[in-house]
Amino acid sequence: MPARPWGALRAVRLLLPALVPSWNFFDVVAPSPRVQYALTDTPEATPADWTEFRPRPAHVPVATMLRRLLWNPRWNDSLFVMSCAERLVDHPTAHSEDEIFRRIAADLARAPDAAGLPPVLRFRLVFVSRDGETLNRETLYEAAPRRRAGIAAA
Amino acid sequence: MTYALAARLTEVLLCLAFAQQSLEHLRGFADERRLHAVRLALCILVLGGLFAPWPLFGLAGLSLFILHRFQGPYNGGSDRMGLLALWCLALSRAAPNEAWRELLFGYLGAQLTLSYFISGWVKVVNPEWRNGRALRDVFQFSAYPVSESLRGWAARPRLLFAMSWAVMLFELAFPFALVSRPTLVAALAVAGTFHFANACLFGLNRFFWTWLATYPALLWLQARVT
Repeated sequence: MPARPWGALRAVRLLLPALVPSWNFFDVVAPSPRVQYALTDTPEATPADWTEFRPRPAHVPVATMLRRLLWNPRWNDSLFVMSCAERLVDHPTAHSEDEIFRRIAADLARAPDAAGLPPVLRFRLVFVSRDGETLNRETLYEAAPRRRAGIAAA
Repeated sequence: MTYALAARLTEVLLCLAFAQQSLEHLRGFADERRLHAVRLALCILVLGGLFAPWPLFGLAGLSLFILHRFQGPYNGGSDRMGLLALWCLALSRAAPNEAWRELLFGYLGAQLTLSYFISGWVKVVNPEWRNGRALRDVFQFSAYPVSESLRGWAARPRLLFAMSWAVMLFELAFPFALVSRPTLVAALAVAGTFHFANACLFGLNRFFWTWLATYPALLWLQARVT
């Protein structure tokens, strides 16, 4: 909430690009982020493997596509996660990192085996780009590990 | 179409789009739910025509809190267009006389035209859009295709080349549709179909409803200046 004058000024500054838009949609296809997370027993442990956060399904039926015109919260939330990932690489802020942590932790908390999962969570951002005909994957950001119990998920 | 009718239509369509978004946010985190419950209530007041124009001003003020909460637009371009439409409507309603009211509302119609033309221009000056490679990249590795099966479209370069040029030519030609009411209606129908396809293939449902909400502003502007 913009409770202080600087907060209100920042909100107005965020509004200005909407009032004087650039409309340069897809002028270039930039490297595309994938969020991957790992769970470990301690912050010091090295993750054995990384899991892609919210991987897209193999196939989406037409009926689902049409339903999503009216109800698409999870996909829109995933697009926000992508925005946070891009912001983290361009201009890192605690806000973007917190938002990604909160969403991963919330999804994990809803998993059937949530209680048995390791307590320490970390994520990294892998950017996919094309060089000639080859797709490259490069890890451009890795967040410091946090305890799942300490991540605000309310 | 009169200014009053066009502004009211835009207001109603925009609040329906906002209400759809806010309902989605009601399954989010507690702080999102609070902000969007207020937005939903204000949308209902606008839709019901109650206490006008204060609920519209309330929505404009609340938009700053939502921008602050997400440190920017939640869903990029679609939220930016929603903000533009909202602030144009609110400022137009607050304007001291008819000339300012029309100017501020007309700005929305002008920006809608630019949204297509500039999007086409920035693509056509890029060789990768002209040879179809950029759209292949969108399907091959961008975050947008809603399923892995859609990534297979990247292996159909001739189709994507044709789609690239169809999109670019339509976007660049859009301002010429303003010459008459029938051509503008036809162009808006094509544009709506384009947003519908983007909603299905890339999950961009917010673009579809938000852009649709601004069409009355352009229909009014076209009639006003011709």
